[in-house]
Amino acid sequence: MGMQTANKLVFNRKKLGIFLLDHAIEVILIVLMLALALNVTGFMTWANWMNILRANSLKGVIAFGMTMVIIAGLIDLSVGSTVALSGVIVARVCRDLSAGGMDLTLACTLGISISILLAVAVGWLHGFFSHKAGMPPFIVTLVSYNALYGLAGMVSGGFPIANQYPDWFNVLGGGRIPIPAWFTNLLGVGPIDGIPYPALVLVITFLIVFFIMGYTTIGRAIYATGGNPESARLSGINVYRTKVICFIVVQIMAVLAGFMVSGQVLAGSFSFGRDWGLDVISAVIIGGTSFTGGIGRVWGTILGVIFMGVISNGMTLLNFDIYTQYVVRGLVMFLAVLISSYRSKVRV
Amino acid sequence: MENLTLRAERITKDYPGTRALDDISISFTSGKVNALVGKNGSGKSTLIKIFAGATKPTSGDIFLNDKNLHFNDTAEAYKQGIVSVYQEMSLIPGLSVAENIFLGRLPMKNGVIDWQKTYQMASDLLQKMKVNINPQETLYRLSMWQMQVVEITKALSFNPKVIMLDEPTSALAQNEVQNLFNAIRALREQGVVVIYVTHKLQELPQIADTVSVLRDGKLVGSVQMNKVKHKDIIQMMFGEVKIQSRPKNIKVRDELVMEVKGFSREGWYQDVNFNLKRGEILGIAGMLGSGRTELLRGIFGADPVDQGELLIEGKNYKSANPIKMVKAGLGLTPENRKTQGLILIHSIRDNLCYASMIITADGWIENKKKRNSFAERQVKELDIITSDMDALCNSLSGGNQQKVVLGNWLNTSPKIMLYDEPSRGIDVSAKQQIFEIMWAQARKGVAAVFVSTELEELLEVCHRILIMRHGRIVDEVNPDKTNINELYEICMRGD
Repeated sequence: MGMQTANKLVFNRKKLGIFLLDHAIEVILIVLMLALALNVTGFMTWANWMNILRANSLKGVIAFGMTMVIIAGLIDLSVGSTVALSGVIVARVCRDLSAGGMDLTLACTLGISISILLAVAVGWLHGFFSHKAGMPPFIVTLVSYNALYGLAGMVSGGFPIANQYPDWFNVLGGGRIPIPAWFTNLLGVGPIDGIPYPALVLVITFLIVFFIMGYTTIGRAIYATGGNPESARLSGINVYRTKVICFIVVQIMAVLAGFMVSGQVLAGSFSFGRDWGLDVISAVIIGGTSFTGGIGRVWGTILGVIFMGVISNGMTLLNFDIYTQYVVRGLVMFLAVLISSYRSKVRV
Repeated sequence: MENLTLRAERITKDYPGTRALDDISISFTSGKVNALVGKNGSGKSTLIKIFAGATKPTSGDIFLNDKNLHFNDTAEAYKQGIVSVYQEMSLIPGLSVAENIFLGRLPMKNGVIDWQKTYQMASDLLQKMKVNINPQETLYRLSMWQMQVVEITKALSFNPKVIMLDEPTSALAQNEVQNLFNAIRALREQGVVVIYVTHKLQELPQIADTVSVLRDGKLVGSVQMNKVKHKDIIQMMFGEVKIQSRPKNIKVRDELVMEVKGFSREGWYQDVNFNLKRGEILGIAGMLGSGRTELLRGIFGADPVDQGELLIEGKNYKSANPIKMVKAGLGLTPENRKTQGLILIHSIRDNLCYASMIITADGWIENKKKRNSFAERQVKELDIITSDMDALCNSLSGGNQQKVVLGNWLNTSPKIMLYDEPSRGIDVSAKQQIFEIMWAQARKGVAAVFVSTELEELLEVCHRILIMRHGRIVDEVNPDKTNINELYEICMRGD
């Protein structure tokens, strides 16, 4: 009897341990948010949360694409440069074509199309050279990181191109969906900040990627490719196509983020997004996706994004300088990877 | 030169459930190449491991001359002068020959490496081996046999008393073997006890002075090579084997499903032709490196093929790739289930449904219900032992992993199965279950090509056996009219 109870207890403790390990990121995030909410005035407010969303949605959008890439066992370091390039291309096309008398909306649409086509081409090239030519994706995308950055500088002539976008383009990045008065009245509060458009884009891309990874054969093929490309290939899975899809999706998401950041500041600049690639990869890894591929959750990535956002927001509210924030972000990532390494050790 | 004798006295080694070595007393002397032969599982590698200190005997003793030796690990065996050279090379491709030989013990002068001395020492050793290899050459530029010689030279640099060579020719091309043999003969002159483990009988007359044969963990006998015939050694290796017979109710139907015509791939196989009928299990017998695995991979489109025509149900398949071949109704259980057959970090459920991914989905949207029912069906039908379908394939035993590989393919309802070494590394009862599955599929009309190193298995399972030697189909036998000794003899003939 006593023995049995003891066994049960041990068993439950083990189960709890595994649960805590599996959901370590959620647990730590909740604890962190509680601590900030209790100690920092202004943290748990609607306005502050809308701020966090506005500041982190752009990288978040890319992070979902990056989750697909990393689960497939790949990496894309070039997304930051794509962010810059896409904004610059649209600005340049708007400026030059509308100067030639073209309708601004048409010119902007053309710029958007060019950016997206370029992203598709870049993603396809990444897939081609990493799969067919056998080059490491790290190197292939490092090349594009440099080349696309340089291209952005060339297109923009080395200076930001400001105030060329039509208004609707700026709204995409900087605008908010207003909260209707009847709703705030219903809640009994005064007028509050609207929801930033990038947050809406974040939610939509999350849903799309969540669906792809969890409910389609493409998602299954991505997990298989990252898990063991040779086994996947010998099971008749099109590994090449799978890799190309991942590379293209993350590039398109980087283009979207590029549109939004340019819209927010009403200018395209080659200096945008320079270090975003590593931030995005960090968020994905903190979210529990395995860097060696084959394992990961899209849900984890959104937690990783919020985590990074909350830390930098909380520390800013607490008046820590930016350098301290970098140190803390580094430590958080270290901890997250340590936990997931430990988890895969105890699991097997 | 001092005469050395390595002697095992009444060595027994028990593993849970099996006795790997049973009361073995054997001795090997210096100045000779002592061959140790036996089929897979005969206990020869266990004996070598005991000599090398990699495992301890359950009972019995080892003597070098009259000194009783006890090893706790391989390092202690090394100190006593017993070294082994394994098939998996321990060399580093990017370093020079001399560095590889003296890695970790490079001679130093004034705190820096004394290169002159390093090259001189390496050069002396290589001369002893009677080979002309430049000690300054980067290793990867050498041919396979030269690398093997460097490996042996490295072992020699420890001034050993005993060198054990484990299948040293397995990775070598035919013309390279002679060069390696010359080096081994030179090694023999160094007054070292040379133990040569092999399963290639045709090599024995050329290289061995004595032959010891193990079978089922027992020493069948040790003989002088010049006093024994090829046939006698085969007899010693296999004894009187009783081959289990396959069920009688598996009928080959009179309907051609696959025709392989003139298949060739440079360096692997040449001009391979055969036909396969519905419900037929066709075996391919051949030694390691005969090209059998590569042929299966070629048919499946996993590797390129230089020449040849493949007809499946009369339809010609050009520039095959696995995606196309799966659609055509082919399945391949690859040679290495862990690295080619499974995704070990994914669940049993997932691994059972990769090949059938398109079938179980509605368009490109997954149908979870259908998927689960497919996975559950295989777990039930193949008797995969697991409490949880979401457990990772990592956690399964070898036999169960192989069943998952099979299940992955059976879910595609294949017309033709290519089985590459499906019974490798799994226990006897699991093997029998795998064969039952193969027969059950044959009854349903699935045609199969079955490649195996174990000749007994081929005789037991197949309707027909092709013999492959150096990339060519050289013979065909009827398993009902052939015994294992004859089959082995045919596989080895001609070298």
